[in-house]
Amino acid sequence: MTLQEQIRANRLRSVLVILGFVVVVVLLAALVAAALDVWLGAFALAGALVYAFVALMSSRSMVASMTGAQSLPPEQLRPLRRLVENVSIAAGLPVTPELRVVDDPAPNAFATGLRPEKSFVGVTTGLLTTMPQRELEAVIAHEIAHVRNRDTRLMTLAVIFAGVIAFIADIAFRSLAFGGGRRGRGGILVLVLAVVGFVLAPIAAVLLRMALSRRREFLADATAAEILNDPEAMALALRRLQLDPTTVRHADASVAHLWIESPTDRLETDRRGESALAGLFNTHPPLDARIAALEQAGGFRLGDGLPADESFLAEHAGS
Amino acid sequence: MWLWIVLGVLVVLAALFVFGFNRLVRLRQEVNTGWSNIDVQLKRRADLIPNLVETVKGYATHERGVFQNVTEARAAVLRAETPAQAAEADAGLTVALGRLFAVAEAYPDLQASENFLRLQDDLTDTEDKISAARRYYNATVMRYNTAIQSFPGLLYAGPLGFHAREFFSADEDDRALPRVALTPG
Repeated sequence: MTLQEQIRANRLRSVLVILGFVVVVVLLAALVAAALDVWLGAFALAGALVYAFVALMSSRSMVASMTGAQSLPPEQLRPLRRLVENVSIAAGLPVTPELRVVDDPAPNAFATGLRPEKSFVGVTTGLLTTMPQRELEAVIAHEIAHVRNRDTRLMTLAVIFAGVIAFIADIAFRSLAFGGGRRGRGGILVLVLAVVGFVLAPIAAVLLRMALSRRREFLADATAAEILNDPEAMALALRRLQLDPTTVRHADASVAHLWIESPTDRLETDRRGESALAGLFNTHPPLDARIAALEQAGGFRLGDGLPADESFLAEHAGS
Repeated sequence: MWLWIVLGVLVVLAALFVFGFNRLVRLRQEVNTGWSNIDVQLKRRADLIPNLVETVKGYATHERGVFQNVTEARAAVLRAETPAQAAEADAGLTVALGRLFAVAEAYPDLQASENFLRLQDDLTDTEDKISAARRYYNATVMRYNTAIQSFPGLLYAGPLGFHAREFFSADEDDRALPRVALTPG
């Protein structure tokens, strides 16, 4: 698929996610109204819409504060800025996303933003001190690919909607616990239906969110390899992330999907993807699977060791 | 009965044609965007040159031939009309600049000049950006050319004014040409 087709496919997915969200929220609110109380249903619906609206408007600053990503004065990290500019140009992105840095020793990176011109790319200081230039470029290209393919928008929508649905289900359960069910007129069947709905909807929303996220990771790896014409660099970067034992300190689960390597899948089995059931709740596919996909596409095999090149920061020390 | 089958086939063919046509328009648009990205950077590089020449002239007064070469190479870049011409002129400018910088080595005062160092840095940056823009442009050309030269595009691309575009590369087997094209899903 070309860039434009990729963006169109993602726009369609975004529309579907929005439609699905509206349907589920209205259904949940109707269940609340039928099983518990009409006014509570109306309140849940209104609350959900306000919540979604506020979250969408403030998603950028929320991500910035949840990850601890700071903007830097323009004269700092000039080589890195240039690298981001060059990768953006190679990706055919009309504007270069803003660059932010997270002060954290674990190597990781993320991108966010509803539109490319309002996006930013965040990198940890750990990424700059562990990755050599070639691999750092691949990681940046992976993030730029998310921006370019509009994954950032799709995932922001999916995360917020999953949050809103959990919020409604939460209201419903609290109300049930306080004996609100007796005020309902629908009888026991409606009540059972409602409880099942309140349990299943948030789980389904989270599963959808995770599945979308995993799919987009594979695609961003492939796009990054294509942008740089160097699938091996992307695979090496992923291997380096895999071998690094540190995880990001600001590992808030609600922004886990943003990072290039999941900060929450801490267990080795999670990282390797050996448990199929646990895999459904992961935001990222196992790194081994991602490396294997790149090896297959690029027609190479990674050796055992990693290149012992100087890190980006060491190479550009003093500038 | 037969009428309906024929009509059905025609409708499907028309739909395929519209779909394919729109795709070609889209691909051509991407090529144009890719080219304007390169053009921006080529212009930016050309804009840096007069300043650079003036700066070096201030120190190295006896290198007239080198300055002449650079100025001519710059003019050739601005004159170029096709991607291939632009790529060749750009390669020529790189060679001429290489000579200029080699000459500059002999002047320690120049090497210490802040202005010179900044210009040198800006030029390196522009060269990197040209090669990044080239990567994107060549990838879009590859996709576009493949689409109009393969079935079913080749049936209608020519008559409708879709013609193959040139790569931006000075030599034949350029390493900047896309090797990988992988998009699962």
